[in-house]
Amino acid sequence: MSISRRVFVKSGGLALFSLGLDPLFLARAAFASYRPLPSSTALSRPVLVCLFQRGAVDGLNMIVPHGDPIYYRERPRIAVPEKDVVDLDGYFGLHPRLAALKPLWDSKSLAAIHAVGSPDATRSHFDAQDYLESGTPGVKATTDGWLNRYCQHDREHEDTPFRAVAFGPQLPRILAGSAPSLAIDDLQAFGLRAPQPVVRDRLTRAFEELYAGSATGLLSASSREAFEAVQMLKRLDPGQYRPANEADYPRGKLGKALLEIAQLIKADVGLQVAFADVTGWDTHVNQGATEGQLAGRLGDLGQALAAFTRDLGERMRDVVVLTMSEFGRTVRENGNSGTDHGHATAMLVLGGPVSGGKVLGKWPGLDPAQRFEGRDVAVTTDFRDLFAELLARHLGARDLSAIFPGFTPDPARFPGAISA
Amino acid sequence: MKTAIVLSLLTLASLPAGVAAQHAALTPQDSAFHALNRLAYGPRPGDVPRVAADGVIRWIDRQLAPERIDDDRLAERERQFHILAYGRADLAAMYTEAQRERRERKLAAAGDTMADQAASPIAQRGRRLAGEFADLAVVRAALSERQLYEVMVDFWTNHFNVYVAKGADRFFTPDYIEHTIRPRAMGKFEDLLIATARSPAMLFYLDNWESVAPGSVPPAGLRVRARPIFGRRPGLFDPTRDPARQDSVRRRALERMPKGINENYARELLELHTLGVDGGYTQQDVIEVARIFTGWSIERPQQAGDFQFHDWAHDRREKRVLGVRFEGGHDMDEGIRLLKLLAGHPATMHHVSRQLCERFVNDDPPDGCVDDAVAAWKRSNGDIREVLRAIFHGPDFWAAENVRAKVKTPLEFVVSAARAVFAQPDTSPRLAQVVARLGEPLYLHVAPDGYPEREAAWVNSGALLDRMNAAVALAAGKLQGVTVVLDSIVSVGDAEQLIGVVNEKILGGAMSDNTKQVLRRQLAGIDDPIQARALVVGLAIGGPEFQRQ
Repeated sequence: MSISRRVFVKSGGLALFSLGLDPLFLARAAFASYRPLPSSTALSRPVLVCLFQRGAVDGLNMIVPHGDPIYYRERPRIAVPEKDVVDLDGYFGLHPRLAALKPLWDSKSLAAIHAVGSPDATRSHFDAQDYLESGTPGVKATTDGWLNRYCQHDREHEDTPFRAVAFGPQLPRILAGSAPSLAIDDLQAFGLRAPQPVVRDRLTRAFEELYAGSATGLLSASSREAFEAVQMLKRLDPGQYRPANEADYPRGKLGKALLEIAQLIKADVGLQVAFADVTGWDTHVNQGATEGQLAGRLGDLGQALAAFTRDLGERMRDVVVLTMSEFGRTVRENGNSGTDHGHATAMLVLGGPVSGGKVLGKWPGLDPAQRFEGRDVAVTTDFRDLFAELLARHLGARDLSAIFPGFTPDPARFPGAISA
Repeated sequence: MKTAIVLSLLTLASLPAGVAAQHAALTPQDSAFHALNRLAYGPRPGDVPRVAADGVIRWIDRQLAPERIDDDRLAERERQFHILAYGRADLAAMYTEAQRERRERKLAAAGDTMADQAASPIAQRGRRLAGEFADLAVVRAALSERQLYEVMVDFWTNHFNVYVAKGADRFFTPDYIEHTIRPRAMGKFEDLLIATARSPAMLFYLDNWESVAPGSVPPAGLRVRARPIFGRRPGLFDPTRDPARQDSVRRRALERMPKGINENYARELLELHTLGVDGGYTQQDVIEVARIFTGWSIERPQQAGDFQFHDWAHDRREKRVLGVRFEGGHDMDEGIRLLKLLAGHPATMHHVSRQLCERFVNDDPPDGCVDDAVAAWKRSNGDIREVLRAIFHGPDFWAAENVRAKVKTPLEFVVSAARAVFAQPDTSPRLAQVVARLGEPLYLHVAPDGYPEREAAWVNSGALLDRMNAAVALAAGKLQGVTVVLDSIVSVGDAEQLIGVVNEKILGGAMSDNTKQVLRRQLAGIDDPIQARALVVGLAIGGPEFQRQ
């Protein structure tokens, strides 16, 4: 399926318009060189998939510093034993339940960034999630999210309702804002439902007219996006989708979300930014080690990501998946065989454009003297430097300071997640 | 002072006279419609003229005294809910039974994946009760005459959110709603705060039950109870009889005993329940609060025990919170004193008043509304009714810019739609499932902040389409979980009559010209009057006007 002619015409018009009038043209030029030249075909449009590990994942048990005795000393009950860790570079290793990702590491399309996080010290989930999504740590007044601001600042691709899609019942904060974005809970059930197609079309048209004429504010914008999406999905027929290469998505929300993301990527409907929540990381009590609560969640994540890359196959050359979380957890296990809210965590970046096979970022060490407030892994990479690198080098964003207001992204600080 | 005089005048008048002078745009009908949208889950057919004729302020004041409102019809419906007949210990026993059965079935199945497909009667009963629990909230919201009270129950349920699917909260949460939240929803904030702090549901949800002073040693009896097998003597062939195994079981049980403080409750107490995130506390305050609450625990949580203070787990040293010294050694009184301090703290008054104004007036409430509420809070020592009264009698509540300024949450949308057509909900979980599909599964908000009030959280293209679908199904009588008889509301007539009645009864007269035109066009090709009526009602409820309140 290809993008309709109408869409191309609209796109061309917009692109010309924005080139001619864009006051940010000079600022953009500064970043133009960080991105390989975009190919002219629709097929190679880059895609960024963001998975939010909501609840603060324990980075230390996800990307395990098994080479550090302090790790084992501080976590007598929940450390992943040396023998179980899937070694990556002699010092760090994957949690065994992420073993499905090891081939991606070996083929250099998976990188981990450790000691990454927010410059703000809050240990509140809500504040920290808010800052991660708004992209303005410490500033509460920001109303939109950084993924939405990316879509705002670079409107060349605003030719499809599927440009920015969150998979879930609600649009997350990170995609809130003036650029159109879509929340889809179930691709197949998206749209008006009626037994006969004639009735469905009639209802769709009637509601479209009602909202076009009478809705105000957010209701108006959201309904417009809804009806555009309904038209495109009608042509797509998602009920017929079969994953390629015998990819086996795990049952559950994440597996379903990634399957639908893969489907939209392959359908070439113009998806550029996809988002999904992955919950269950707030392991205060009985976190477990090789097995247990966290292991179960990581197993689901590893399997889902492995299925996603298998399903997309060659298409992964245009795709980057980022996992992120609001903060990490305490180095020392707590009294309940769990971990409490900490500071830095680890994030994963995988996909064709990734410069993988490396644990990126400056590792601060686990010694109490090197920790943040004596208890947590210190942040050595501001998450905005990682996000900025992905936006600039992968999606081709040119004006990063508009996406991260109050922050001056500096390519010298980029962790190096994307191949030059 | 001035406010008090205005208030007393208002209560005498049948219309908000002083307010009407300032905002002449609101007719008695409009005022009634507005009040029914905000203090209630929307009007039923006939409610608007009834409240308008009776006097909207009089209706509001009656809603502020729910105990004097007769609610027999709801009480009758409530008797059909089995969930209300069980205490939390019954629910805990059922849960344990279901768990044990599942374990046994898994063992027996060993490789046979088909075996655990059919749900057992025990599992089915658990599922049915869980469904009933969510549905009960929807049924009460739809049918209760004490509408404001039900709105406030929802407000506090979110303010003091717990997550029903977290372990023991499966059986603690129904009890929490019935006996902690509901009896205090219109009382003193302080009482509600203390009750939630002591509730097993909250203690479990935010882990405080396991928070102990570092180095504290539980008494021997508790250590034995910490074994994985409780309430049952090991059988003769039980592996735990083997001394070596027994030793490792004991060691593991000891390892699982809590060994330190847990800051979770302390942090959310300050950030969400009381002061608010900008309330001027520090990380050190969070730690000190957590130390004060060490020992606030649950007696045998797996059997749904009650609150219990463990003096052995309590940190007996001095603490200092927000600059206030808490002398050590006062056990539970320290926590009570702290909760009272927090309940009456100016930051708390402001934070909670603002949330109430967000709920009742505007997502971005005017400062005047918050100031009025805070003043009433101070005057009344945190009497929730008086705070609400100040909001409803204040000019901001009636200001034209705040009328229809809020988008309904999924719960508000579904319940107001059901009320608009006199739909009768049954005891099946279907209607609650619609609320869940629209993004608000009840009692299942994982994070302690509860469901959001702002429209940005609810308005997105997918959810809007779902609302349209639910509306069409409801009007066609095909929404499972409710019975709708449109005859009593909208008689079959010609297009203009139909549109006029739907505008008046369902949209409170807010139907736009565009909507009227679209409806006329849609009706043009339909001969069957029953179908025509279902279409107009469905489009009206799924359309843009009905999404607002």
